[in-house]
Amino acid sequence: MSDRLIMKLRVVGAKLTTPDVLVLDLRHPKRPALPAWTAGAHVDVMVPGGVRQYSLWGDPEDRSRYRIAVKRETAGRGGSKWLHEHATEGLELHVSAPRNHFDLDGQVRPCVLVAGGIGITPIFAMARALAAVGADFTLHYCARSAAEAPLLDDVRSVCGDRLTTWFSQEGRRLDVNALLAQSAGAELYVCGPLGLTAAVETAIDAQGFPVERYHREHFAAPSGAGFVPEAFEAIIASTGRTLHVPAHRTLLEVLRDNHVVRGSSCEIGVCGSCECDYLSGDVIHRDAVLGLKARGARLMPCVSRARGVLILNL
Amino acid sequence: MTDKTSVKQIEPFAHPAAQAAIGVEGGTTGWKGELLHIHIAPAASYEMEELSKATCVAGRGIEGDRYFLGTGTYSPRPDVREITLIEQEALDALARNDPPLQEGPVVLAPEEHRRNLTVRGVPLNHLVGRRFRVGEVILRGGRLNFPCKYLENLLDRPLFLPLYNRSGLNCGIEKGGTIQPGDVIELLD
Repeated sequence: MSDRLIMKLRVVGAKLTTPDVLVLDLRHPKRPALPAWTAGAHVDVMVPGGVRQYSLWGDPEDRSRYRIAVKRETAGRGGSKWLHEHATEGLELHVSAPRNHFDLDGQVRPCVLVAGGIGITPIFAMARALAAVGADFTLHYCARSAAEAPLLDDVRSVCGDRLTTWFSQEGRRLDVNALLAQSAGAELYVCGPLGLTAAVETAIDAQGFPVERYHREHFAAPSGAGFVPEAFEAIIASTGRTLHVPAHRTLLEVLRDNHVVRGSSCEIGVCGSCECDYLSGDVIHRDAVLGLKARGARLMPCVSRARGVLILNL
Repeated sequence: MTDKTSVKQIEPFAHPAAQAAIGVEGGTTGWKGELLHIHIAPAASYEMEELSKATCVAGRGIEGDRYFLGTGTYSPRPDVREITLIEQEALDALARNDPPLQEGPVVLAPEEHRRNLTVRGVPLNHLVGRRFRVGEVILRGGRLNFPCKYLENLLDRPLFLPLYNRSGLNCGIEKGGTIQPGDVIELLD
């Protein structure tokens, strides 16, 4: 389920929603309807030298355009900076069909949505979907100030009094412990910087909140500081071929060198493009996509490794 | 990526399938088909784009296509991929769920199936090891196309079984030239 069609889309709207967040509207120049998507989905956007993932925040019912919001990351890899400088009306952008690793898990329970900054994009799509079916939800939106909260007006108009804002410049900070204590029985969806998800996860541990009802999306894979990669062997099950993966190279690179075809995109373990089945092995999972259950049979070769011998179902 | 040395095409009649088929009696003759659509994609996974006219280069492929440029999903593997064809009749059968091997009809538009040429009235399964012309261009059938999981993933639809045995034909270009929809397709020998 990992390969996605890449389309040449046209920027039909480019507008700042905050001083450092650019909203882009994208249309297909030839087709009236873009591939369908659900709340929580993201697209890959090709930028010089790489690929970036952006969540869709518009209305999934409106198949005529995709709406993304790009935060200028001054310390980033350069993709968002390039988009801020070049994405104006008329620009052609190469964009993948959407994929979703962060979808709403049924809607039987009330939902508590928590967004930090630009993390509002998938969370807003979820709020819109929940509001559309009259589901019970609340949205907690954390940002430095109202002026720095992307899409705030749109979020307000969709959520009404189900929205609570937490602007630190006004001295209001979300108390995740208190929120969790009030959220027993709810599904919890969180998207934001690592500081926010880490605080939520600490509170989850402390309070024994059921982990299967916690859903999060990372902007970046866990850094894994201190991780020392070691060499291992990968066997291709269909041919019996053994490939040596040296400590300084990724499994994905070694597969590619040996003409084992894998799609890939982010290559930092967040997009899920290069997902691969394995039959046996002591895998060191380092991605931010696969859930615990999936990790028993699948891995992301761009970041994940193994100890000893790994048998790939390829 | 556009370096010619990265393009690994097998001469179609050197493919084991064509080798085995050449000289074997059989195959329908006397038919006359038509080119309906031409599609190319600049690179792996990119949406196919329709052309009203295309330039075919002998031993290389269609100008601008991923297998001409060496940027296709399967470009690193030596194979017969200069130009690929599929029958409109096979797409029609999928659309009427015939045979009913999957949940229901599968509508596969010409820009979705990722073969270069959509043709009508051409018995592609009979053309391995045979020469035929599309307008002024001469093609050699190298091997039958085979459905891939990649396409199934890309389109998120069950296609492997429905396309099985009617997935089209992979060809090489013996004589290049310009083709356009409406061109006549005929067996040469």
